[in-house]
Amino acid sequence: MKKVMKKDSVKNLVLLLASVLLPVIFNAAGQSYPILIMCFAFLYMIATSGLDVVFGYCGQISMGHAAFFAIGAYGSAMLNRYCGIPVFFTMIIASLLATLVGAVIAYPASKLVFHFLSLSTIAFAEIVRTLLLQSPGGITGNAVGMFPKSISLFGFQLNTYTRFYYFGLLFLVLFLLFKYTMVNSRVGRAFIAIRENTHAAGGMGINVTQYKVMAFAVSAFYTGFAGAMYAHLVRYIGPDTFTMKQSVMFVTMMLFGGTGSIAGPLAGAFVVLVFNEGLRAFEQYQMLLYGILLLVVIVVLPGGIYGTVRSIIKRLAEKKGGQVDAA
Amino acid sequence: MLLNVDNISLSFGSLKAVNEVSMTVESGKITGLIGPNGAGKTTFFNIISGVYKPDTGTITFDGKRIDGKKPFQINEAGIARTYQVINLFKKMTVLENVMVGMHSRLNSGFFRSVLRMPDQRKEEEEVRRRAYEWLGFVNLEDRAHEQAGSLSYGEQRLLEIVRGLASGPKLILLDEPAAGMNSREKRDLDELLQRILQKGVSILLIEHDMKLVMGVTDHIYVLNYGKKLADGSPAQIQKNTDVITAYLGGE
Amino acid sequence: MLIQVLVSGSVLGCVYGLIALGYSLIYKASGMMNFAQGDVLTLGAFLGYTFFSMLGFPFFLAFILTLIIAFAFGLGIERTVFRQLKAKNVLPIYIVLATIAVSYILQNACQAIWTTKMLSFPRIFPIDSLKVFGVAIQTESIFCVAVSILCMAGLHFFMKHSRFGTAMRASAMDSKAAQACGINTSLATGVTWAIAAGLAAMAGMLLGPIYGVFITLGSTIGRKGFAGAVMGGYGNMYGAMVGGVLLGLIETLTSSYLSSTYKDLIAYGMLLLFLFVRPTGIFNEKAITE
Repeated sequence: MKKVMKKDSVKNLVLLLASVLLPVIFNAAGQSYPILIMCFAFLYMIATSGLDVVFGYCGQISMGHAAFFAIGAYGSAMLNRYCGIPVFFTMIIASLLATLVGAVIAYPASKLVFHFLSLSTIAFAEIVRTLLLQSPGGITGNAVGMFPKSISLFGFQLNTYTRFYYFGLLFLVLFLLFKYTMVNSRVGRAFIAIRENTHAAGGMGINVTQYKVMAFAVSAFYTGFAGAMYAHLVRYIGPDTFTMKQSVMFVTMMLFGGTGSIAGPLAGAFVVLVFNEGLRAFEQYQMLLYGILLLVVIVVLPGGIYGTVRSIIKRLAEKKGGQVDAA
Repeated sequence: MLLNVDNISLSFGSLKAVNEVSMTVESGKITGLIGPNGAGKTTFFNIISGVYKPDTGTITFDGKRIDGKKPFQINEAGIARTYQVINLFKKMTVLENVMVGMHSRLNSGFFRSVLRMPDQRKEEEEVRRRAYEWLGFVNLEDRAHEQAGSLSYGEQRLLEIVRGLASGPKLILLDEPAAGMNSREKRDLDELLQRILQKGVSILLIEHDMKLVMGVTDHIYVLNYGKKLADGSPAQIQKNTDVITAYLGGE
Repeated sequence: MLIQVLVSGSVLGCVYGLIALGYSLIYKASGMMNFAQGDVLTLGAFLGYTFFSMLGFPFFLAFILTLIIAFAFGLGIERTVFRQLKAKNVLPIYIVLATIAVSYILQNACQAIWTTKMLSFPRIFPIDSLKVFGVAIQTESIFCVAVSILCMAGLHFFMKHSRFGTAMRASAMDSKAAQACGINTSLATGVTWAIAAGLAAMAGMLLGPIYGVFITLGSTIGRKGFAGAVMGGYGNMYGAMVGGVLLGLIETLTSSYLSSTYKDLIAYGMLLLFLFVRPTGIFNEKAITE
């Protein structure tokens, strides 16, 4: 057991080191585009990890996470523009706002199961989007949108891809650490129990409603922060960014990387992001190809990419007669 | 008198699933609940454990009213249960299932868990240790890190029982614990029930295996079509003609 | 003014009803939520436009051809995609995602085959408008409501009084029992999906002349159609019709007399309201239980 742990820690350290060195290498080669991709990857990894907490661990589907993404993005932008709060603090406050909204909507939604729950999250997200498109007094810029500033940490402006990269990497690591401690604790066990057997979970003394709300709230914080990151990276946000397509993309990223794990959402976010970028070359056929490929993968690989890769590895290991690593 | 059920009724639409049933469960004893299939026994358990709210009647446990409370509150009050269909957390390990069973007795909330505060870390160590102990109670310690779903049927039933015991209840409701067991396993179960009693946990048991029920219980209640048909000692119930007719389908 | 509002409300309501019907039929037959209905509506509008305007067929012929294609489509995707997924017992979330993938494909295919611009569906009738209660009403609106009502009545008779309709209801209620009675449940399920697609395509052809034809015609309506289905009782055929019409009327009345800026909020608000307060809907349909 301890040997496996050591192997994991070494693997993680190497990964971390490589991540820290990556921009240095790319900058030396004069390529800033890959660094930008990684910036997006980091924020999508955070958003998807958040969704994984509420669905992968707690079993509650949300097809409306774009709403939290939006609250984080617009919240941070508006707090900066109208209240003059420096950008980094606006991100935290906006994420907390997303958390609050998440908790409030989760409370009545906790009584619903799968299909109806997904409908309620879709309806919620559409309501948020409509309010962004037609905001009272036009504070969100309505259809035009907003142009947020870049993050400033104590006067230091994160206005290059490389600077944002390290910011993103730092916060990704922090968020992942917190996800790790959360899921490997009494709280995490309660989430999983609810997912596995909601009935029995109640019988174990778990206040199911409270924990469902908790899962939603945490998940909203993660995705909200990611939204704020998005706003201050792209420096333009409009209602078109936060449609149901965005929510579906989060779900796709999570499913394809594998739910209920730390690494899964990371892999899924990265793969789907790169994939989308690749599809951009096809312009008008982008959505068509995306849809076709999505359908093909679902029908052919129902375990998602992660599940399929894992079962291949398992079968190879069994063939070799070795021990199957219960990773 | 540990549990006092007073005139409980529950209807689903026009079907009266439980019809004015009263029952008392004594502390330190094994009480049996028997009856033909569909008599309402599991529904009765569901009412006690808070899954359903009774239409009429009251339930008092350890001096406090528990009818209408939510399942987690009933667990906190000191009643645990197992299920007719195995309701383990299949994708969790055997050990983790027992750890979940202890949920209501632990204190680490969200922030203490996420930030790994010292008292949370100490509590988690305790939880693991005690969970191992409970697995030892049913000889499952060497299966601790396997997925619960990979255990044999009989082992899964045992795991469900210790998962219930892990919350330190005063009363445990066992719903057909012997279902699917062979005679050796049933003898072991008989002995396990005695050990549970020795730990100070009273038992209310639904069972179909008459030999087991007659041999192990101190008092028996019989349900038929949602109504209490009879109650008494095993000897009395065995001689009760109404009970015999109900089972053999007289009329 | 009120008459105009009621008419547009009814038109919208009938369209919502047809979409909601599709949702409830598919849910009852296959236990799935299908997010592609809205885009089948769009497809229907484009197909109708192609046959009627581009190829110059008489409207009746264009109508029938579009329905046939829609039927084939519904039958086709049930057979090729969703039956496999159901057989493989994949998690419900993958099925939802699959229907969304289908909706993306439809939307983009329409865009690729036709255009991103708004197309104008020519008038179907030689008379521009009829006078009802002294108010001039667009003929196409009357046509829409009339056809929807006829269609719903037809469906009612088909389901209740025809052999195949009863077979379909039996398959939806209990597939194994129906098979034991010799019912071809696989055909019944396929036909259910075909009918659902047909209803959506029909809605598209009824709406096209009134709203115009463009690629996002159906997507918003498709999403809001869920509200109609839930309001009536998800899975309940009659509930879907009633819920849809009710939704259309409430939405149009509120946006005309109160505020039209937040028109979309009404449908989603009603959806949330029903989900949180009365998920079984008006007709108390217990199709979706804990």
